[in-house]
Amino acid sequence: MNMNSDENIVMLNPQRKLIRDAQKTKGRIPVKCRQRNRFIPCFLAGVVVLSVLSLFYLEIDWGKMVSRVPDIGEVFWELAHLDFANMDLILSSLVETISIAVLSLLYSLLLGIVFGMLAARNIFRVPFLSFLTQSFFTFLRAVPTPVWVLLMLVCLGMGPEAGVAGLCVHTTAFFTKSFAQSFESIPDETVEALEVTGAGRLSIFFNAVLPAALSQIVAWAGMRLETNFSECAILGMVGAGGIGYVISNSLQGYDYGTAGTAILLVFFVAYCIERLFVRIKKRF
Amino acid sequence: MKPILKFEQVSKNYPNGVHALKGVSFEVQEGEFISIIGPSGSGKSTLLRAINRLIPISGGTVWLDGQPVSAQRGRKLRELRCKAGMIFQNYNLVYSLSVLQNVLHGRLGYMWGVKGVFGMYSEEDKQEALDLLEELGLSQFAYNRASDLSGGQKQRVGIARAIMQKPRLLLCDEPIASLDPSSAKTIMDLLHSMTQKRNIACIVNLHQLDVAVRYSTRIIGLSKGEIVFDGAPEDLDDSAIERIYGTSRENLMMGGNADDKEDTAHCA
Repeated sequence: MNMNSDENIVMLNPQRKLIRDAQKTKGRIPVKCRQRNRFIPCFLAGVVVLSVLSLFYLEIDWGKMVSRVPDIGEVFWELAHLDFANMDLILSSLVETISIAVLSLLYSLLLGIVFGMLAARNIFRVPFLSFLTQSFFTFLRAVPTPVWVLLMLVCLGMGPEAGVAGLCVHTTAFFTKSFAQSFESIPDETVEALEVTGAGRLSIFFNAVLPAALSQIVAWAGMRLETNFSECAILGMVGAGGIGYVISNSLQGYDYGTAGTAILLVFFVAYCIERLFVRIKKRF
Repeated sequence: MKPILKFEQVSKNYPNGVHALKGVSFEVQEGEFISIIGPSGSGKSTLLRAINRLIPISGGTVWLDGQPVSAQRGRKLRELRCKAGMIFQNYNLVYSLSVLQNVLHGRLGYMWGVKGVFGMYSEEDKQEALDLLEELGLSQFAYNRASDLSGGQKQRVGIARAIMQKPRLLLCDEPIASLDPSSAKTIMDLLHSMTQKRNIACIVNLHQLDVAVRYSTRIIGLSKGEIVFDGAPEDLDDSAIERIYGTSRENLMMGGNADDKEDTAHCA
């Protein structure tokens, strides 16, 4: 023991000497890491430069914008005069929107689990396979949902089918990425423990990795249902059916009452979905 | 008698230049209870993981039940892995599943196709798993989530999962390193009795010298990737300990002596 404590003092000495030197030269003891992260200041400076440039490029007419500000209040005042005359149309299109959101979620969940399994690096241990899957879905994800829906409208014709298909592309790409991350966050040791039983890759995935990642999958699905629902409301405006079509139609016809009712219902349903999944998440 | 496990000049070099094993050779017979001791980084974990090819070796041959492990791939390797059960320091259970499901995972290696993928276990397997839990004193927890158990209980589930595999050999990677002294004794007693009863050879990585001496039929001492001691626990004298740990007995934290006040410290 004696020998050890002697060693400790020798080990600690250089550190103490360094601190003492610092005290002598500056009169202050430094507290920050020696290697400072220079990325954040550079990033902030870049953001400032870019915002100034875009301000010049867009040539925003600030005078006109300020003069129109009172109109915002007026429009909202009009929207607040709810008109329940077209309630049957609003409700049926709302149900259609919810169905599109739920269906696209269901299909994407199944596809996302399959592709997430291929994309996760710890399931099949074939780096090339995960790289291929990841990069393919990164490409799909880079194209925004409305563009996919427009493409599907051209392929499948007007209607909810195009909405479901278009939403599925983006949602599956999103799930593949997030599920793969959830699968990869399962400790390697757990996978190892099943490997030594002689179990195959698929057995390990379905018996250990998937059950362990289930609570995260539920959380992602809840978040995505919310997003899909609000996306759906926008997608109606490009012709994919649902409540978005009602909103854009009545706004164009200056029927603010109907539009206000529809918008309020969209808010309400989105809020309900969020609350529902907070409750479900707690049970896991 | 044919050995269950044979190491022939096995070496392992990691890409970072560390030589974890240097020409290690030994044989294991049926029913042996072997402790592997040595300081951290001496290659104990690498040695255990070389047996079921969790870590591929760089030279030599590992023979498990008469077959070379390093030459096997795919299905053949999985069949060979069935013969060596393993338990871990951190238990490595699937905590969101029931205790019974975790025990049944030991059967996955014997199930092919859809049955294995969806975990459709036979009624005999389920009965056997329940009997095993009964034997380990965990039958009342069979349908609890594995996360609800204490450390000692989790390790008992780990043992049940390994025994479910019907192995010829049981590998234990520091099974009591995260347990309190009383649970540690329960686990070592269980390991000893269950492997003796089923005639399973057992290899245990240990940091506790006194535990190694008390339970094993044979002790292997590793230092810097080489075997520096291989013999009965009675022969482990002070000079052997010094060869293994590179320092004399007085500088080691030892437990187990009646007059030693730091009796519990050996589990730290």
